[in-house]
Amino acid sequence: MKVKTEKKSPFIDMTAMSDVTVLLLTFFMLTSTFLQKEPVTVITPSSVSEEKVPEQNLVTVLVNTDGKVFIALAGDRDSTQSSDKVRMELLKNAVSEYNRLNPSSAISLKQSEVETFGQIHMFGLALKDMQKWLQMSPDDRDKFIDPKENPNCGIPIDMNEDVNKPNEFQIWMKAAYNTSNYNLQTAIKQGKGIAVKADATTPYSIVQVVMDNLQTLKMNKFTLLTALKTEAE
Amino acid sequence: MAKGKKYTVHKDVRVDFTPMVDMNMLLITFFMLCTTMIKSQTLQIALPSNEKVEKQDQNKVKKSEAITVILDSELNSEGFPVKDFVYYYEGMPEVNQEGDQIVSNMKEIAFLPNENGKAQGIRAVFQQRNKQVLEKINVLKESWKAKQINDSVYQARAKEIRNDSTLTRPVVIIKATPNASYASVVTALDEMQINNISRYQIDRINATDSAMMTPYLLKRLKEKK
Repeated sequence: MKVKTEKKSPFIDMTAMSDVTVLLLTFFMLTSTFLQKEPVTVITPSSVSEEKVPEQNLVTVLVNTDGKVFIALAGDRDSTQSSDKVRMELLKNAVSEYNRLNPSSAISLKQSEVETFGQIHMFGLALKDMQKWLQMSPDDRDKFIDPKENPNCGIPIDMNEDVNKPNEFQIWMKAAYNTSNYNLQTAIKQGKGIAVKADATTPYSIVQVVMDNLQTLKMNKFTLLTALKTEAE
Repeated sequence: MAKGKKYTVHKDVRVDFTPMVDMNMLLITFFMLCTTMIKSQTLQIALPSNEKVEKQDQNKVKKSEAITVILDSELNSEGFPVKDFVYYYEGMPEVNQEGDQIVSNMKEIAFLPNENGKAQGIRAVFQQRNKQVLEKINVLKESWKAKQINDSVYQARAKEIRNDSTLTRPVVIIKATPNASYASVVTALDEMQINNISRYQIDRINATDSAMMTPYLLKRLKEKK
C-alpha cells in the first residue's frame, strides 16, 4: 500500500528568531564587564552590606586559603591616571623602595618591561623574580603566579610592625599610596581604596596577617569583599 | 535550463537565517560565560590604630555595656575550618575553678538565620541588648517604607540613632581564635550591621578567654569521639 504524502519543504522562517538573538547579544555586550583573570578562585563570604565595590581607584588584595597574597590595582577613569599608567608608576615606586632597602640585590627594569607590567591585572610574586617574570610569555606568566604550578608564588609577607623595614607586601601598599593618583590616595584614606578578598574557608589567622600589615602602615580602614545575602538568612 | 528563452521566474526571495541564528547563539553563550553580572559587595571595617595608647587615655568600656563574642572553628585534617563555634559573655569575664571544673559566665551560641521572622541565636541576644536603638530605627523604617522620607534622610537619621549616646547601646568585642574561619568573622561583623550596633571592635584573644573556652573545647573533643 502506498500512501501519498504531500511533500512540503520544512522551511521555518528564522528571521524573527535572528532578531531576538541579535537583541540579546546587544544586551549582553552592553551590560557586561569582563571577568578579570585571577590566579586563584576564591568564594567570598556573604554579608547584608549593599555597598558596591568601586571600579576605579581600588587596590584589591587577594588572599588564598594558604595565605598567598596577590595585588591588583585599578586606576582612575581619567586617562592621565588610567590603570596601566598607575601600575607602571606603582612598579617604579616599589622597585626604588626595594633597591633602597636591598642595595646589594638591586633590580633595574627596562622601560619595555615596565610597560608590560602596566598591562597586567593581578600579580603576586617576589620582587627579585620580577624581571624574569616580565620577560616571560603571557602563558608562562600566568603559570608562574598560579599556586598550583608554582608553590613559591605570592607576595612575600610576614608579621612586621617596623615601618622602617617594610616587607614586600608593605612596599607594594606604600607604593600604591604614593602614586601620583590623588584620587586613589583619598580613597585609601577614606577606607574605600583597599579591598581584601579572601575565601570564606580561610582560617582567620591568615587574613589577620594581612590586616595587621595594613594596620602597621596606618591603613586602618579598608573594605572586605563579600557576596550579598538577605537579612533573614 | 533552456537557453535563449526569456522568462522571469517568480520566486520568493527567502534567505535562510538558520546559520545566522546559530552564530548568534554561540556569541550569546560566549558572552554569558565570560561576564560577571553580579558585582561584589563590600563591608567596611576600621581597625584601631596599633600605636601604643597611654593607660589614662584608653577608652574604658562600661562593664554593663560590653558583650564579648568569641569565634572558633573546628579544623579538618587539611587545616581548613569546617564547623564554626560561637561563644559569648556579657560584662567582665568571670572565671572560677571548682574542683577540676572551670566555671565561667561564657555561653555557647550560634549564628542562626531568622525563624518565622524572629531572631535566633546570637542575633536575639544583640537585639535584646540594643532594643532602644532598634525600636527607634524600626519606627524610622516604617516611614521610609511608606515613602514619607527618602533614602538619604533615612540613612542620616539611622546613623544619628545608632550613635545616640543617650540610649543604652552595647559595645561588642569580637575576638577570633587563629582557627576561626574568615567567614565567621565576616558574619560577626555583619551581625553588627543587621542589629545596628555602632560600637564594636576586633580584638585579640587573651589568656582569660582561652581559659574560659577550655570546658567547651573538652566537650567538643568528647563529642568527636
